[in-house]
Amino acid sequence: MKKYIGKRLLLFIPTILIISIVIFFIIQLPPGDYVTSYVAARIAEGETFTEADIAYLRQSFGLDDPWYVQYFNWMKDIITEGDFGYSFEYGRDVWDVIMDRLWLTLGVSFTIFIFQYGVSLPIGIYCANHQYSAGDYIWSFIGFLGTATPNFLLAILVMYWVYSATGSVYLGLFSTEMMQNGMRWEYVPEFLGRCLIPLFVIGTSGTCGIIRTVRAQMLDEQTRQYTLTARAKGCSEKTITYKYCLRSALNPVVSGMSHSLSSIFSGSTVSAIVMNLQIQGPVLLAALKSQDMYLAGTIVMVQAVLVVIGTLLSDIALAWLDPRIRFSERG
Amino acid sequence: MKKLIALLLVLVMLLSFAACSGTSGGNETEGTDAETEASSSSDETEGTVAEEISSYSEAPYITELGIYGDVTDRLPVEEDIKVENADYLEIGTYGGELKTSTSSSSWATGKIIEEGLFLFNSDGTLEANVAKGYDVNDDATVYTIYLREGMKWSDGEDFTAEDCVWYYNYVLLNNVDSKGVRDCNTSTDGTYAVVEKVDDYTFTVTFSESKYSFIEDLAVELKWYWAPKHIFEDFVNYVIEYNNATDDTAKAEAESKALAEAEAICGVTFSDVAKAGKELLYYFWNYSGVPTLNSYVLSTESGKNDVSGDYYEYVRNPYYWKVDAAGQQLPYMDKIIYTTIQNTDQSLLLLLDGTVDYQIVSMDAISTIQTEASVGINIYEWSGSSWGDTGTQIMWNLSIEDEHLNALFNNSAFRQAMSICVDRDEFASIYSEGWLSGGQATPSEGMLGYSEEWATKWTEYDPDYAKELLESCGLVMGSDGYYDFEDGTDFVLNIVSVADSGAADTYALLKLYYDAVGIKTTFRDYDRSNIDNMMLANEIECTLYPVTGIGDVSIILKPNSMVPGTATNVVWYGNMTAETATGDLLELINLKAQLDVTADADERTEIALQMLALHEENMWVIAYVEASPTYFAVNERIHNFPEEGVYSDIYRDTGLAHCWCWYIEE
Repeated sequence: MKKYIGKRLLLFIPTILIISIVIFFIIQLPPGDYVTSYVAARIAEGETFTEADIAYLRQSFGLDDPWYVQYFNWMKDIITEGDFGYSFEYGRDVWDVIMDRLWLTLGVSFTIFIFQYGVSLPIGIYCANHQYSAGDYIWSFIGFLGTATPNFLLAILVMYWVYSATGSVYLGLFSTEMMQNGMRWEYVPEFLGRCLIPLFVIGTSGTCGIIRTVRAQMLDEQTRQYTLTARAKGCSEKTITYKYCLRSALNPVVSGMSHSLSSIFSGSTVSAIVMNLQIQGPVLLAALKSQDMYLAGTIVMVQAVLVVIGTLLSDIALAWLDPRIRFSERG
Repeated sequence: MKKLIALLLVLVMLLSFAACSGTSGGNETEGTDAETEASSSSDETEGTVAEEISSYSEAPYITELGIYGDVTDRLPVEEDIKVENADYLEIGTYGGELKTSTSSSSWATGKIIEEGLFLFNSDGTLEANVAKGYDVNDDATVYTIYLREGMKWSDGEDFTAEDCVWYYNYVLLNNVDSKGVRDCNTSTDGTYAVVEKVDDYTFTVTFSESKYSFIEDLAVELKWYWAPKHIFEDFVNYVIEYNNATDDTAKAEAESKALAEAEAICGVTFSDVAKAGKELLYYFWNYSGVPTLNSYVLSTESGKNDVSGDYYEYVRNPYYWKVDAAGQQLPYMDKIIYTTIQNTDQSLLLLLDGTVDYQIVSMDAISTIQTEASVGINIYEWSGSSWGDTGTQIMWNLSIEDEHLNALFNNSAFRQAMSICVDRDEFASIYSEGWLSGGQATPSEGMLGYSEEWATKWTEYDPDYAKELLESCGLVMGSDGYYDFEDGTDFVLNIVSVADSGAADTYALLKLYYDAVGIKTTFRDYDRSNIDNMMLANEIECTLYPVTGIGDVSIILKPNSMVPGTATNVVWYGNMTAETATGDLLELINLKAQLDVTADADERTEIALQMLALHEENMWVIAYVEASPTYFAVNERIHNFPEEGVYSDIYRDTGLAHCWCWYIEE
């Protein structure tokens, strides 16, 4: 097991390096660079620029070098100084920009993560145990609907319904008063209310997928011979379900978690934009659009690192969860 | 009414130029008629009203800011106080906050509160603003600008001629703001003006050659002509030291001093000296701790003073130098608060429940507002300055590299065919849901160059003649029912536009007409930044709803969208310059060059008319629908929003609405 983890950790380094090159290459692929987007946006607002201004800007941002030179300098600073570069758009260190929204992003994403698994596991088990019952059909219907409806559309619909019903627009996690006066106890109920829409919208999409997976896996396990044997030996249904079937059924669910780590970091992007959530996703999109390359590069790279770490963790968790994987590793 | 206003606007503008040209015959002390108008508006009109004001009062909020004492100590001397007394203004009441939202647009937050030495009024006249007036000598080489005595910066320090003279000589001449000396300060021979202090409230701007358009150019190009010397003197000296340093040690030392000083001023760490200079002296309203002359200044409170954050506030300037007709110091509202949104549609949503107080909205949003809003919202209609409705403007890139397309786009028969193949009446009624009529890309009625002949040129629907014209361009009908080039290659017009601009719907409608005459088209919309980049790379063939539409209030004051080579983001001329242009396009560029060196106002107008005649002759850009107005949706609790105006960058967009006069009454 140790050897396995060690091997995986060593592979980690070239993987990240290759990913970072690909990321950097792709980000600078579209025509132009940050200066062209910056200049074009300012011109559209009435400001004027000369060719010399543009050349000067490009030089001051270090964008007059070829991309591989920029990449090399960026990587060198990350490795030697832990410096992830400078965000052109925000005029600050990339890491400061990321840290600004990190805690809120983590908070929102963890809550959604817990919501998704907390809701979908029991429902998945219930549906498997009550296959073809009315409850199973209702949950399956909701499940399919949730999977088929794009999050952002659901977000728009929910916001519209809420507005029609209450006459108030719930956009973002904080009201103007909260942002103006800082968080106070009296705002907590409204804040929690504002969390419900994103929780429901972003939470349900993942939930539906997990319900379907758990249900299918549980049904699969329930027809296995070991279940039959356990039942014949007189084990209680509770023990069969939770001690045997669920443990096996969790394998694919746990492997699916490997991607959660990365999405917890960035949060949902499109839905976050629609609902104006102050989390990392919209920052990434804006950075990609304006070719704020070090900011975009860093966020995507951190995501990539988290996917790699997440895969490793889920592999370890699987090995711990499933003796067959442990044995096959040894064998 | 709008047309009347537009007409008045142009007339007054022409008069002001004519008046300027008359200076050569005038005498030095009296100056020009236009100048008298500007100075009299400050000296006489306002003086008279100021005399009627018996006492001055201030907002209760000022004591909350910890500022006490008599308001007159914070205003300029009585005769120099600027009185806002336009006819439409009601006497307002103090208090409240203007709630608005932004998708991080620095200019949108800046223009609305921007001040200039001289500002344009909504009728196109120039009004003395931070300056109380000016004089000019006979040959328009020496301008004497008079400032308001006793006027103060938002931190309470005196604002004097020294702030202007120092700004020009230290900040601009040394390019500390990375914009340097603007064209308005340059003589026609390329030399820079000399700016000198006469006394605390007077300075002169001297040109080596006559500069008749200085005041207008100043109002268009360089709105502010000052910086707080008491704040920036050390910083600017360090930057100059840095720029002049010859060895690395001295350079590094000056750099660290400049950056430390910049951080001490506004609390922000900058990556380099050039950036710090530009941000603090050009985008100054974005930085907390930088005093301004504006009605509102960025809060100094943490959590409310970061314009890249999700929430920030502009707080009333306790030393603001304007009062209303009853002697109440302006502004009325205590704050302007901004919340950041991801896109402008969200702002419409926030408008509906009263979370946001005002917003520019599109035509199709009006019915949503009228039926869905849970608060009262007034819609104000301002004239636009574009040629025809921008949403239906179609631009071909006349400098496109592809030879086939280049020849075709530069052939006026092709452009005419594209124009007459669309049934404008039918199209306009569907496109605008009956709000607008068919039209053409021409100046609106009342604007310089307008003629009915031009406004209706190539607007008669005639698909058969369109086909004839296409064939005269060398296109041949292919077996698929679409035209091909003579050599048999497919002719496809690839139209692009900005995503979410509504262009996709417009195109879907236009495609029916194009298909009917055999013009094969494709459409693709891109994210705005991609379009911007494609424009700068000159890769766009044709665009519907261009980012920069053709037309502006005046081809003299702002020719960018109308003359090749004057901007980098106008599709129809792409990267064309005087070196690459030919024929009428070259003549247009030459006329612009001639305009730059012409002093006489009549001659300038004549040249402008010749330039517009070239546009009329060639119709380089066409539109299918008449110019649409700009609609402001304003919560009805906001009062004193002007019912009429012209939305244009020259007038600083919403800045023309003078937000310092808005007041809140629930």
